[in-house]
Amino acid sequence: MESKPGRIVVMWGHLALLAVITVVVVYYWMDTRAVSMQTVNLLLVQPASIFALLLVLCILPQCFRRVSEGEEIEKESLSELGRVFALMAVFITFALSMQYVGFDVATFAFMVIGLFLCGERNWFLNIGFSAVFTSLLIWGYGAIIPFPFPLTIL
Amino acid sequence: MTNRFSRRDMLRFASVGAAAATVASPAILRAQGSYPDRPINVVVPFDTGGYNDRLARAFAPMLQAELGQPLNIINRGGAGALLGHTYFLQQPDDGYTICASSFGPYVPLNILTQDADFSIDDFHMINLPSQDYTLMATEAGSDLESIDDVLARLHDDPSSVSIGIQPASADLVNLTILMEAEGIDPDALALVTYDGGGPTRNAAAGGVVDVALVGGEGFLPLADEIRPLLTFSDTRRDGWEGALITDVLGADAPFVSGSQRGWAVHSSFVEQHPDRYQILLDAIETASKNPDNIASLEEQQLATTWFGPEASNEQLRQTAALMEQYLDLLTDD
Amino acid sequence: MVDLNSLAGAFTLLTSSYQAWIWLIPGLMIGLFFGAMPGISITMAMAIFLPMTLYMDFLPAIIFLTAIYTAAGFGGSVPAVLMNIPGTTSAVATTFDGYPMARSGRHNEALGTALAASVFGTLVSYTLLMFLIAPVSRVVLRLGPLELFAVAVWGMMLIGSLASKSMLRGLLAGTFGVLLGTVGFSSAGHIRGTMGVQWLFDGVPVIPAMMGLLAASQLLGLINTKYLIEDEASRQISFRKIIDGMRGSFRQPFIIGRGAVIGVLVGAIPGVGSSISNLLSYAETKRNAPDSDTFGTGNPKGVIAAESANSSSEGGAMATMLALGIPGGGATAILLAAFAINNIVGGPSFIANQMDVVYAIIFANFAQAILLLIVGLGFVYIAGYVVRVPLRFLIPSVLVVATFGSFAIEGTAAGPITLVVFSVLGWAMVRYQYPVAATVVGLLLGRMLENELARTFQIGRQSIQGIFDYALTRPGALAIFGLMVLSIAASAYAKHRRRKLGRTILAGDE
Repeated sequence: MESKPGRIVVMWGHLALLAVITVVVVYYWMDTRAVSMQTVNLLLVQPASIFALLLVLCILPQCFRRVSEGEEIEKESLSELGRVFALMAVFITFALSMQYVGFDVATFAFMVIGLFLCGERNWFLNIGFSAVFTSLLIWGYGAIIPFPFPLTIL
Repeated sequence: MTNRFSRRDMLRFASVGAAAATVASPAILRAQGSYPDRPINVVVPFDTGGYNDRLARAFAPMLQAELGQPLNIINRGGAGALLGHTYFLQQPDDGYTICASSFGPYVPLNILTQDADFSIDDFHMINLPSQDYTLMATEAGSDLESIDDVLARLHDDPSSVSIGIQPASADLVNLTILMEAEGIDPDALALVTYDGGGPTRNAAAGGVVDVALVGGEGFLPLADEIRPLLTFSDTRRDGWEGALITDVLGADAPFVSGSQRGWAVHSSFVEQHPDRYQILLDAIETASKNPDNIASLEEQQLATTWFGPEASNEQLRQTAALMEQYLDLLTDD
Repeated sequence: MVDLNSLAGAFTLLTSSYQAWIWLIPGLMIGLFFGAMPGISITMAMAIFLPMTLYMDFLPAIIFLTAIYTAAGFGGSVPAVLMNIPGTTSAVATTFDGYPMARSGRHNEALGTALAASVFGTLVSYTLLMFLIAPVSRVVLRLGPLELFAVAVWGMMLIGSLASKSMLRGLLAGTFGVLLGTVGFSSAGHIRGTMGVQWLFDGVPVIPAMMGLLAASQLLGLINTKYLIEDEASRQISFRKIIDGMRGSFRQPFIIGRGAVIGVLVGAIPGVGSSISNLLSYAETKRNAPDSDTFGTGNPKGVIAAESANSSSEGGAMATMLALGIPGGGATAILLAAFAINNIVGGPSFIANQMDVVYAIIFANFAQAILLLIVGLGFVYIAGYVVRVPLRFLIPSVLVVATFGSFAIEGTAAGPITLVVFSVLGWAMVRYQYPVAATVVGLLLGRMLENELARTFQIGRQSIQGIFDYALTRPGALAIFGLMVLSIAASAYAKHRRRKLGRTILAGDE
């Protein structure tokens, strides 16, 4: 490749995604081989894993982009990305904690924080809506699904 | 905790409304404070629609009439009943959670092949009315007329007959016992593995595989489409023609029974609440022996026989022992 | 083929008592409501109301349950269109074009199109059922692993067409999905990739994973947007536009017909059903459409293809259930249980002796489909108001509903955990232009692909030669593969011609 002017920009996020996919595929392939080396067990998983890893290799160069001098790469503002990550973090916390703190408390807390993160600044509206929505949801799903779920207050 | 569950259950029953109102008999109001004074959960470790689910749902109103409390079926399927059995044992052993399952062969299989963290002693069988058996069958129009035809072909070339079967099953144990007795190398067989009894039976009925070995009761709706070849039992079952395993291997032929289904509680419940256990035991026994119930269940092709705890626990342990003997076969790679 | 005496008998059965009819509308409303709630499966809705039927006569009980069945099948498309949530596996392909339509302000049309396609599909499928019940049921049992493998491969072709922007990323997304779809027990009894987690033994829970990949990932990315539909004027709820959408559906009888045939045939195969048929129908429609480039950006034909196929799968599943007594899935298992309550056993002798009851069920389903058109119209009109809710309320609410839905499937933490893992994965994939839909397709087809391939290999005595020998004895499978190649070649040729034609016109302009 002839050298062009400009610098190389690394798309770290994309690189991380490919790393995750690679780790999962390699783990799964190795685990499958560890369980049994019978052809019937490897029939699909082995070729599919190799294929996936080859694809990762082909896509890898796309994580590095050469940007010519002066060209601006468009980027979303850091604060917008920050809000996405904040919501993601709250969502993960909610989904993993609901079993322990009770569905009612977890849902209400998630709704209040979620509404705030999404831009609702009127606290009366926020808390009111969250409370009503949480109650309705718990009553509705509670009436329908044949499983008990832990509640703390309701 | 206890309180919360009961309120949730009541809420659910209130909102499902008609359904619950019609099944909950007025007897609910009687006997405040004595067992049972609130609804009883029945854990079924299989999804809706299977034999265990149907049995539990059909028997529930009958047991309800005896106990005076509604029974609430909780389906907790998955991983060959491992999830449901684990879930059941995690529930309080106060008699308000009972289990309806194919304890044999699933509890031994969970323990032997899936590293389950429970043992067979954690379960106490109250009654196992349904005792399934392995049936070897072929499609109705097959050129395999009898078990002798199958064995003759297998002696000729063990891989010449494709055999539909579930891996890690009582059926596989039975097949291996038969093959070893006949001097046919089990490893040379052309096994075609299915993940479920239904697909295995369909494969036999459609001629997709030459023969299939699978629980015989489930074959009843397909009776016109198949030809039964060999029943792994010492008595004729469900009117199937063809040979019995005792005809082939002699009167003391070894075999394991198929699914042993019925009702169980925590073993610790029996020790800690002998009074409650007695109430539950009596209720199940009375409901099982009620002629109306027997007639109704038989019409739905569901089993009703009363064997009682002693025989039922003994039967399950026998299966477990045989399974353990053939353990290498179930986990073999 | 159609027995006139039984036909008359069916009319007598249906008209002799009002009992059979009073349960129709309640059944439809229950079905719509439950079907539209993510995570509440058709099976669950029917199982909850099964005890009620204990106190009904046989025919009203079956009509009530099939009304729930029919309406719940459509109900799933409402959240699929409005929120990109396929609450059931059968609504996956509905999201591909339905959600983009909604985002661009065509939510009314999308819902109307989906409703009409569903109703039309149901009608066609039950008509087919009336004539084909016996032959279809005979074929179903004879389908072997090679035929089913061929069907799965056909579905996999969709991955290629979903990867419009970058083929490499599309293939990686699809292959990754296939691998994830095979986690857990294989049909040969091996347990792989579970990291010791017991609930992974049966594989990655598909519905929570799907909701995460398709819906939650979208919602997380929408946090910096104010409304689902950016243009305020487009956020109206209009009966007229819903009706326009319905008309649009009726103008595509060929797509609906193809969807219905695929739906009935695939729906009749036990254990396959509507979750595969909607994908196949979408793939075929997209490949053969002159405007296939606009699929995935809000082409109503995509919605029609998906909805006609998933709703007509009900007819196929009913054929197998009635004629063979085999439940193809959870919903038909519940119906068989209702049969059992009334001491009726489905199967060959049932359709031989009680064809009048079969016809009565079919006619009742015609009536259901037509009533669904009316009840559904009101339902989608109300549901459409979702687009007016500001996203700052909608995002947390829908995330919570998805979480409850994912819990509702199994009643364990497995659902919510899967949901969040796949939400984050899906968000990252969308961000770097990987088609998450391809991962979903892989996830849905992976297990079928592997199991059927494994069984083909086992029947072929574990050798290449054996597989070829076996294939030669399966003309059906060869026919499916042949049809697939033919269909791909034909659409490639058509595309080539269109391109050539386009060039000539352009050349003429110059």
